[in-house]
Amino acid sequence: MVVLFAVGLYIVLTSQNLLKKIIGLNIMETSVFGLIVTSGMVDGGSPPLLGRGLEAPYASPVTHALVLTGIVVALSVTALALVLIVRVKRECGSIELDELLEPEE
Amino acid sequence: MSAAVHLLPLSVVLPITAGVLAPALFHRRHNACSWWAITAAALTLATTLTLVSEALDGGLVRYPVGGWPAPYGIELVFDGLGILMGSAAGLLTLLILIASRAFVQTEATPQRHSLFHGLVLINLGGMNGFLAASDLFNLFVFMEVFSISAYALVALARGPVAALAALKYLIVGAVSSMLVLLAIALLHAQTGSLNMSDIGDRLAAAQAPAAAGLALGCLVVGFLVKAAVFPLHFWLPDAHASAPSPVSALLSGLVVKMGIVGLIRTRMLFAEADIFSLVALDLLLVWLGVAAIVIGAVLAMIQRELKLMLAYSTVTNMGYIALGLGLATPAAVGGALAHMGFHALIKTGLFLSAGALVLSTGLSRIDDLRGLAQRMPVSSAALTLALLAVAGLPPTAGFVGKWQIALGALEAGQPWLIAVVMSGALLTLAWAIRIINSLYFLPPARGQVLTADEAPLSIRAPILMLGLVAMVGGLAGAMVLEWIEPLSFRILEAGHGH
Repeated sequence: MVVLFAVGLYIVLTSQNLLKKIIGLNIMETSVFGLIVTSGMVDGGSPPLLGRGLEAPYASPVTHALVLTGIVVALSVTALALVLIVRVKRECGSIELDELLEPEE
Repeated sequence: MSAAVHLLPLSVVLPITAGVLAPALFHRRHNACSWWAITAAALTLATTLTLVSEALDGGLVRYPVGGWPAPYGIELVFDGLGILMGSAAGLLTLLILIASRAFVQTEATPQRHSLFHGLVLINLGGMNGFLAASDLFNLFVFMEVFSISAYALVALARGPVAALAALKYLIVGAVSSMLVLLAIALLHAQTGSLNMSDIGDRLAAAQAPAAAGLALGCLVVGFLVKAAVFPLHFWLPDAHASAPSPVSALLSGLVVKMGIVGLIRTRMLFAEADIFSLVALDLLLVWLGVAAIVIGAVLAMIQRELKLMLAYSTVTNMGYIALGLGLATPAAVGGALAHMGFHALIKTGLFLSAGALVLSTGLSRIDDLRGLAQRMPVSSAALTLALLAVAGLPPTAGFVGKWQIALGALEAGQPWLIAVVMSGALLTLAWAIRIINSLYFLPPARGQVLTADEAPLSIRAPILMLGLVAMVGGLAGAMVLEWIEPLSFRILEAGHGH
């Protein structure tokens, strides 16, 4: 998970393409979600549901709720970013960061 | 549980609900939408002020959501930081919304008016929630609520620069959010808890200090980005200068302060855990603060655009706050907290009055705005008052925090830091005087200046009020500091009480 996080961060920092930066961001997010979900695992634990004949120990249900919320947040960030990229493309004609910054110099 | 306690969730839910409804109900009806937003913000401010009076009477206001007690349930707590920044957020958002009546019409396309009002309200709700959150995950969620609405607000401005600045802000902000979430994941894996004071207690017994250290590092870096503390300020000037003026006021005045709030909460959590000494963190904040003060002020001085200067001045002032926190003496932390509140007022006044000048003339460079004071006396006067305050001249609101931070430097036995505090103030004064000089004493250079009209009353009233408060705020400094003192002790003493 830490490797995934580092890969994502590396893409965000080094890629010149805005779209690839967003993909990098999503990789980072996925790695964090994975980390959260696995931290809720209990050895030999059953799904935290009542009334299905499942017995304790249960896996922690909190982490799943956290990841669900996190995914919603990540989705909205990605959606907003994609809208902005469309606008940048329309108004500046490029989504390559080096091309965008050059003409101003 | 008294009835007033229920106002705490209301201060979060009310602006967010009103904000979500705004675009749905008032699409393309600018006037109605504006009044809707102003009413919602005023009601939120009233809610917060009721909570403030409740909290001042009887200590913390606690609200267990759904009746489940902490640490198993989610608890909202309205503490000293909530009193300080919550009331500032409510008041300033209200003033910004009033001033926006004139701004938004020219600075955003008509389809976006209702979106603007909705997003400002959601931003306010997010900040209130962030201040009230007592568990890490709510802290994260509300951080995202005000951050995402801030990205969208920057993008509301016309022109290609705004879209790119908003995207840059979004990417940097999202990375910092992910660092915070990673830290939360690590802490939750270690302790099995999300409640901040509970984590503090349990962390001492946790086996892996390395993971806790990584979590601390991620939280600090994440919140330093949100607070735009040097060298993680690089996203700020573009975003704050290219956003519509009321949005710049909101971001520079309030949203960056939330990063500092997060930093304070982190420090309190780890001070309570007491697993490693926080001296390194404090030292880091001192050095970053020193660098930010000097570099921010120098960069502000060499800018030619009015709003960029103000944006770099935010970097300087966040440096002051970081320095005050890092010194970790009662006077310095009190000064940092006072400066958080006062700088919010001053910077909102600065951006709104500068925005008024830019709005009437359509010009944004200092050299082009020469001689404008004759045509726009009220806006120029408000800008001048706020500029003197941001430089920290003695009777002004900006003076209180800086003086206390300098006193704190003495307390901490590092008198050379006083020279840094002073030089930051002098550099700020230097560029402030350059602006004042162009406005008042140089002959007009551009035709737009000769035909510019004074800003409408909806802008003049808030900026004059903010300017006057910024100017005489220092007189109330003793009172504010006296009130802040227990809070700064609480921040410093976290953990030592056990």
